[in-house]
Amino acid sequence: MSFEYHEPTSLAEAVALGARFGDDGRFLAGGTDLIIQMHRGKLRPRHVVSLHRVSGLDAIDANGAVHVGALVTHRALERFPAFRGPLRALVEGAEVVGGHQVRNVGTVGGNIVNASPAADVVPVLLTLDASVTCLGPGGERTLRLEDFLIGSGRTARRPDELLTGVRFAGLAPQSATAFLKAGRRRAMEISVVCVAGRLTLDASGERCLEARIALGAVAPRTLRAHEAERFLEHRALTAETLREAAELAVAACQPISDVRASARYRRLLVETLVPRVLARCVERVREQAS
Amino acid sequence: MSKLALTLTINGERHEILTEPHRTLLDVLRADLGLTGTKENCLEAECGVCTVLLDGAAVNACILLAAQCQGRAVLTIEGLARHGDLHPLQRAFIDHGAVQCGYCIPGMILSAQAYLQEHPSPTEDDVRAALAGNLCRCTGYQKIAEAVLAVARDRSARR
Repeated sequence: MSFEYHEPTSLAEAVALGARFGDDGRFLAGGTDLIIQMHRGKLRPRHVVSLHRVSGLDAIDANGAVHVGALVTHRALERFPAFRGPLRALVEGAEVVGGHQVRNVGTVGGNIVNASPAADVVPVLLTLDASVTCLGPGGERTLRLEDFLIGSGRTARRPDELLTGVRFAGLAPQSATAFLKAGRRRAMEISVVCVAGRLTLDASGERCLEARIALGAVAPRTLRAHEAERFLEHRALTAETLREAAELAVAACQPISDVRASARYRRLLVETLVPRVLARCVERVREQAS
Repeated sequence: MSKLALTLTINGERHEILTEPHRTLLDVLRADLGLTGTKENCLEAECGVCTVLLDGAAVNACILLAAQCQGRAVLTIEGLARHGDLHPLQRAFIDHGAVQCGYCIPGMILSAQAYLQEHPSPTEDDVRAALAGNLCRCTGYQKIAEAVLAVARDRSARR
């Protein structure tokens, strides 16, 4: 692994370097994925453009709409006070990424761009209808995160573009989120399956107004379970409807069998975790109301 | 390939280092500075034996480029003892028989140190979660957790 190292001090300079190097270059955020892929020889950039001296990318702004800068670490996400309430799934997703050592360094932007189908924070962001901002030589463009993720390790980011942050609207009243991850052990584990959910309930707390379900590690990219979501909307949330939603979510999956689990086991996990995540959302909305 | 001139504060001492951009903090610590207390194993941030503190936060030195540490403060296991006196965590690990083969211990102690700085009164479950990024293949976790808890208790008692 040998490359030229660059440390731009402004966004404009970083983007100019990205444009100059194109496919020969890589942006370095925390490096917890990039350096490993370079060690393995999977990536061999000739230029590494570190973002450390670029200011303004490591802030979270949660006044109204929420903006999370690309260089915000998982640790910062875990500790952000405004995410302890209805947005708790962000904390739940961030706190199961690697060990403390990785969470202190690894960034949200890197997690998104790395586009692992097993990423833990990405499904939570999908349930929040998040969009990402990319800055290139031609200016800035905003894409829905769902459209940004194309496949395993593949995104709609152009080689000369830098992902600068992710944004989503604040939650409506009577909303809550939840995230659950299944692995073979409780820590230091790549998700066998992970599920994120968001529900907005009506004033009575019985009926669903809006539902979002996202599934990790069951397809080449993190998936939204659209049919399950549509099925839940305007229905009363009984054990039976949650079970039916889970079946629709299972139908959306295209899991593979690998060293971590069989495709069949992954489907069973989705069937089990989807109702659990949704029930947790319902519980949280009711707790918040009381 | 051009070299980078880096200034790192390691265990309180300023070091001027000239190194290639691809070299990790672990490479520099072990090969250039002879600080072999920081161990090398998986090189993929899975095992935690290379854990050091960067500005007080636990990091895996194996996947951190030395260049990313420019101008920052690194604490390795060699910097923990003061004036020849073992750090309370080091003393507790010995007293509790928490050291078997010893390979994971520098990383364990530094993860515990970073955690206790911020969480002075942990439960055993907290300690185990705090050390989740450090594997002990001798599986001596029980005594390790006891040693860390003993240090926390001892510090609270003195407060």
